[in-house]
Amino acid sequence: MAIDTGTLTNIGFYVFVSIMFAMLALGFNLQWGYTGLFNAGIAGFFLIGAYVAVFAITPPAPPLIIGGIKVYPGHLGGYSLPLPVGALVAMFVSGAAAALVALPTLRLRADYLAIATLGFAEVVRIFAINLESVTAGTIGIPGIPGPIEFNPPDAFLNTMTKVAVGAAILLGLLIVLQFMVESPWGRVLRAVREDEEATMALGKNTAGYKLQVFALGGALMGLAGWFFAITINYVEPSGSFAPAVTFSVWVMVIVGGSGNHRGAIIGAFVIYGLEWLSVQLKDLAPKFLADTIPYIRLMLVGVLLIVLIIYRPEGILRERKRVLR
Amino acid sequence: MGGDSGSSLPRRYWPRGLNWAALRFTPAFRRQLLRAVVVAIIFLAFLAGLAATFGIAILQYTLAGFVVSSIVIVAAIGLTLIYGIRGFANFAYGDLMTLGAYVALLVNLNGGLSLVWGAIISFMVLAVAGILVEIVIFSHLEGRGPVPPIVASVGLGLIIQNGIRTVATTQQWIYPVPALQEIPIVAGLGIHPIRGIGTIVVGLSFVLAAHILLKYTNLGKAMRATADNLELAKATGIDTKRVTYAAWAISCGFASTAGVLLGLSGVLSPVMGFNVLLLIFAAVIVGGIGSPYGAVLGGLVIGLSQEMSVPLLIWLGQPSVIGLEHSTAYKVAIPFIIMIGVLILRPWGIAGRPPAFARRVFFVERITQAFSRRPAQAKQVEGEEGG
Repeated sequence: MAIDTGTLTNIGFYVFVSIMFAMLALGFNLQWGYTGLFNAGIAGFFLIGAYVAVFAITPPAPPLIIGGIKVYPGHLGGYSLPLPVGALVAMFVSGAAAALVALPTLRLRADYLAIATLGFAEVVRIFAINLESVTAGTIGIPGIPGPIEFNPPDAFLNTMTKVAVGAAILLGLLIVLQFMVESPWGRVLRAVREDEEATMALGKNTAGYKLQVFALGGALMGLAGWFFAITINYVEPSGSFAPAVTFSVWVMVIVGGSGNHRGAIIGAFVIYGLEWLSVQLKDLAPKFLADTIPYIRLMLVGVLLIVLIIYRPEGILRERKRVLR
Repeated sequence: MGGDSGSSLPRRYWPRGLNWAALRFTPAFRRQLLRAVVVAIIFLAFLAGLAATFGIAILQYTLAGFVVSSIVIVAAIGLTLIYGIRGFANFAYGDLMTLGAYVALLVNLNGGLSLVWGAIISFMVLAVAGILVEIVIFSHLEGRGPVPPIVASVGLGLIIQNGIRTVATTQQWIYPVPALQEIPIVAGLGIHPIRGIGTIVVGLSFVLAAHILLKYTNLGKAMRATADNLELAKATGIDTKRVTYAAWAISCGFASTAGVLLGLSGVLSPVMGFNVLLLIFAAVIVGGIGSPYGAVLGGLVIGLSQEMSVPLLIWLGQPSVIGLEHSTAYKVAIPFIIMIGVLILRPWGIAGRPPAFARRVFFVERITQAFSRRPAQAKQVEGEEGG
């Protein structure tokens, strides 16, 4: 065998995390790329999806008290539902949350929505950190079931099933979303993005369309949260759902080219690839640099955001020009 | 705003000079003053009621609220200035505050100067940085709508935040402040001479400075004109580019001072500014975007409500009530709830004047109209009066 299973497992990890980011990017692309709704709280909807899925699919977890000391605060749920049911519940709750946040701000300018969603993500994260009896706080929830449990445990097969499940979902999403945006419904979305008042004048209920799209995008982010939970098998609020996730997804969509699905997916693979490589190369870097690599990477994300938005806002893959015939 | 009628259009706007004629009381100003006095009396009565019910010590939270408000107000004025003139939400503002706090610390530790000098030098450094940021980044994004500058400002924030993490490490720093006793006002109620009184005094003087700048100098008048209508301001002969640079300098200078005050009230860390960004946005939105006077009001509402919710949250945290764990951590959710409430009911801010189209656009207004017996026309007139 030319490549040993350890390396393949490692690459498989990169692939399924990229797929997860691709789901987030597809959700954000639907909201911003197609409809012009700017979501600054991607991490919040992602978090809600992950935790709701975890509550649905894990076995019960009562508080663990040893010698009068609370070792583990326990968490809500524990219904041991099948994984697909967990995905549906996560999508529904995240989508509903997105609709609720969007409702007061949809009729206002785009920046109000950005501020409201940013605040929402922060508040959700604070609740997830502090509401220990529901979310187990910063200790996190371990032992989330994966797609298929192998006996005896096999890291390679495990990773490959995750990649396969993720790829199948991504392909399905891509087909469904492509049909949606090419339909008359998708045409209205692009019209809202280009000129909302003109669309309103044509008799379209633009606020209704915006609400649908925002909820749908939120549901996709919830799906990404579910996928995160079943692949990483551990959720914890302070690191995985930090605002940096939101900003990374922005970069992915802007790099790939907003307004087309392939761009969002390519962006996810490229940008997460940079992060993954930086982790892989950490051992090669000199000692003084090794600790600051994550910060330097985030600074690069910042530079990339500024440079791209100024000089190449259409990204690598330009949105297909549609000409009236 | 408005109310400085009587003075003709200045030929030169840049060299500033106090316009003494504008200092007299206009009827609009008198009306506002009356309204402010009424609100203040209601608030004082509320405080007296609280003190009578729960003991005087409860007012400690009110004092803390005023301290937080002072910080939020200074920051919110700076943020709303750029929001008004450049028309976008500067998401890097929290990180600019962090940068200001660290520059002051650097001057203090390495330059051997006192923290006051640190704050002054930091103000100037950040003012220059603000102008640079406009030239290098944001001038390229003019006229591209509100979202591209938001994306760029998040990029700037990431660069600043992680630059600080790289250079100054993630370690927490504390300003070397002389150890002073709290000054007791009455038994059980005290205020720290630097963290409390100092912050409030600095906050008040910044509000006063902003008021004088905006109302009585030609630069301020040019700023308000630019914020009101860019094209019209250009047509009047105002050099809007220089006004924009001045606004960036003032905005970032205010950010630096707010950062120093924030560092004084707690510890310095790379995320200190980003963590209060929501609070400042809430203050700006509650007061009405682009209005510095609204920012003052919004800052008061946000700071006081956040700190005065603490005893309520502590009560909720008691096992006999609902036993909410870490209940005081949720105080940051209060500004968010107020912000959402204002966005639903009065998106133009609590003190602002509703735009003419508001009656048709906002569905909540429609619902309230459906429930009120008065015809829509009468409400329109009432709305025009306010503000």
